[in-house]
Amino acid sequence: MVKMSLDAVQVMSGQVKELKVSPSSNGDARGSWEGKEEFDPNQLELTAKPKPPKPENAVTVAVSSRVLFRTEREQKVFEQKGVEEYLRYQIEHENEPFAPGPAFPFVKALEAVNTRLRELYPQSEELFDIVLVTYNHAHVGIRLINTINHHNLFIERFCMTGGSSPIGYLKAWHTNLYLSADAEKVREALAEGIAAATMFMPEKLTEVSESQLRVAFDGDAVLFSDESERIFKTHGLDKFFEHEKENEDRLLDHGPLKGFLEALGKLQKKFYAKGQRLDCPIRTYLVTARSAASSGIRALKTLRAWGLEIDEALFLAGAPKGPMLEKIRPHIYFDDQMFHVEGAAEMGTVAAHVPYGIAQKYSSQQKMSSGK
Amino acid sequence: MVQFKDIGNGFSVFLCLCQPKPQNAVTIAVSSRTLFNMVAERKIFVDEGVEKYVAFQVEHENDPLKPGPAFPFVKALMNVNTRLRNLYPDSEELFDIVLMTNNHAQVGVRLINSINHYGLTIERFCMTGGKSPIGYLKAYMTNLYLSKSADKVTEAIEEGIAAATVFMPKQENDLSDTQLRVAFDGDAVLFSDESEIIVKKHGLDTFFEHEKKFENQPLAQGPLKCFLEALGKLQRKFYAKNERLNCPIRTFLVTARSAASSGARVLKTLRSWGLEIDEALFLAGAPKGPLLQKIRPHIFFDDQMFHIEGANELGTISAHVPYGIGQNAPLKKTLEFSLRILQYVW
Repeated sequence: MVKMSLDAVQVMSGQVKELKVSPSSNGDARGSWEGKEEFDPNQLELTAKPKPPKPENAVTVAVSSRVLFRTEREQKVFEQKGVEEYLRYQIEHENEPFAPGPAFPFVKALEAVNTRLRELYPQSEELFDIVLVTYNHAHVGIRLINTINHHNLFIERFCMTGGSSPIGYLKAWHTNLYLSADAEKVREALAEGIAAATMFMPEKLTEVSESQLRVAFDGDAVLFSDESERIFKTHGLDKFFEHEKENEDRLLDHGPLKGFLEALGKLQKKFYAKGQRLDCPIRTYLVTARSAASSGIRALKTLRAWGLEIDEALFLAGAPKGPMLEKIRPHIYFDDQMFHVEGAAEMGTVAAHVPYGIAQKYSSQQKMSSGK
Repeated sequence: MVQFKDIGNGFSVFLCLCQPKPQNAVTIAVSSRTLFNMVAERKIFVDEGVEKYVAFQVEHENDPLKPGPAFPFVKALMNVNTRLRNLYPDSEELFDIVLMTNNHAQVGVRLINSINHYGLTIERFCMTGGKSPIGYLKAYMTNLYLSKSADKVTEAIEEGIAAATVFMPKQENDLSDTQLRVAFDGDAVLFSDESEIIVKKHGLDTFFEHEKKFENQPLAQGPLKCFLEALGKLQRKFYAKNERLNCPIRTFLVTARSAASSGARVLKTLRSWGLEIDEALFLAGAPKGPLLQKIRPHIFFDDQMFHIEGANELGTISAHVPYGIGQNAPLKKTLEFSLRILQYVW
């Protein structure tokens, strides 16, 4: 009969007290899996857990393990010593929870919104659903599960792809937003039409609200397409103003994160319907470098035409975004230009880069010419 | 594999690449109806009787049969064998495919012609002419038995042999030519159905508490655990030759379990068995169909017809494992509503 040999991981794991290694029993005996004793449910203390919604009804946010938790140390082990050593390290530290990562406050805020939504609409499935999508191997799953339970998060859906690309699964989950630390994956997701952004850990984190989810968006190349940025980069600011005035009533094309703003708006309307506008746990912000009088109207008219409301709009006319964002304290801020993302991070805002549009070409050219 | 080598002067020499011994190989037994599409022939058998059926088969002896649901799976197994032979030319640890069929010996010619037409390597046949194949399965040390007959599959499982009833989807997804991909459900397939019993009797919350309490106690094994073990053993042969990234076998766990509430026990159980699974998807009740459509396995094992049909609808070849408390009668559309309630609980 085929005998199973122990592999190194099991021996190293140290979790195994007694080895339940039964030899293959095909055809040797009646199924040894019958005959388990009944157990008594009264021995357990029950706490009711809410049921996860169906993917097509929910607003699905997919996060990778590296943005949900801080895994820099483990990442270093992987890069320096290879995958086997990395797996061994993870298994050894299985019961040590990870520290929160950049997307952690965002996910906590999503859960706060879910709690409020469940109070108002107990039967509805229109909630946030968080899926953990990771390259990681199933062995690391236990540490991730332990950490999630330690921090009291409610993440029940996992995709552990063991090295293959997770992008295919994003569509199957009807993903509305994908957050990752890996720019390549984010670019792939954007190419597939899924809203996605690369997250970075700021050095210091400003305190954010626990009861209200705050999401800030840049305008061009994030909510809107990058057509205006193209004009600005090729012909300069004056041409840009002229163009915007001429085309004031023509809508801008939509950008990669328009769908996500739409999903947020849909949930906001559920609160408004129950008279909770002043107390709404979702608040959205537009923080754009556009100038209000010269180019602001087109942006606002476009949003109106899409039926989207934005709670606060800040037209900065080129002023730095960092200080404004520090006052707003969003759980996440989406921008297409690394310049702004870095500026925001310096002042403690969790910023996410949307690698879309013409600004990507220019930023890489700048880097090359300045010899960075 | 049989090859004829021409040595000139009109003679040919009969070269036989040796088949592995059953105790060394991973033996997969398939029935003729899963390997080939014999729907039309089956109709003749059912409507007009066995004589007409045999006559029909003999008449069409030289017409190769069309591929059936297990065909891509068998092709993928052969591909893995080729890779294994490249790396370990003397080893007998390969896949061995046996054709296990109730068919009459007369039909054998058509089956052999079809097998050769597609270039398959199936040298072992059992044409039982109506008798139960279970004894032969044991004699061949079968690791997995695929059939269209739910009765035979149930019998096999009761005798401790991994077995499943295979269903053909109406339109098939494109499958990989180079990598064998096998997807498994968790409870009542890889693991015993103890947890499903708790859900059905006491509800979801009790289930979560129970799983947390017994997190470090491995689940009992289910009917397909040994097949996963056999796959893992062959995978390790590739890892040993540094082919981990290019391994032609990939395994998937696609479970309705929730990760944070009940996932740890599953992962710990697999680890305590020394089994690795390449990709683990915890669905927390979301439908399996769309994810399987992305995975594109050559076969997907599940114990509940509800999931089998969901997978089939989106083009995945699915195999039903008739084990445990999850057995319902195959559902019709009119019963879908009551099944949705059952799924709500699970």
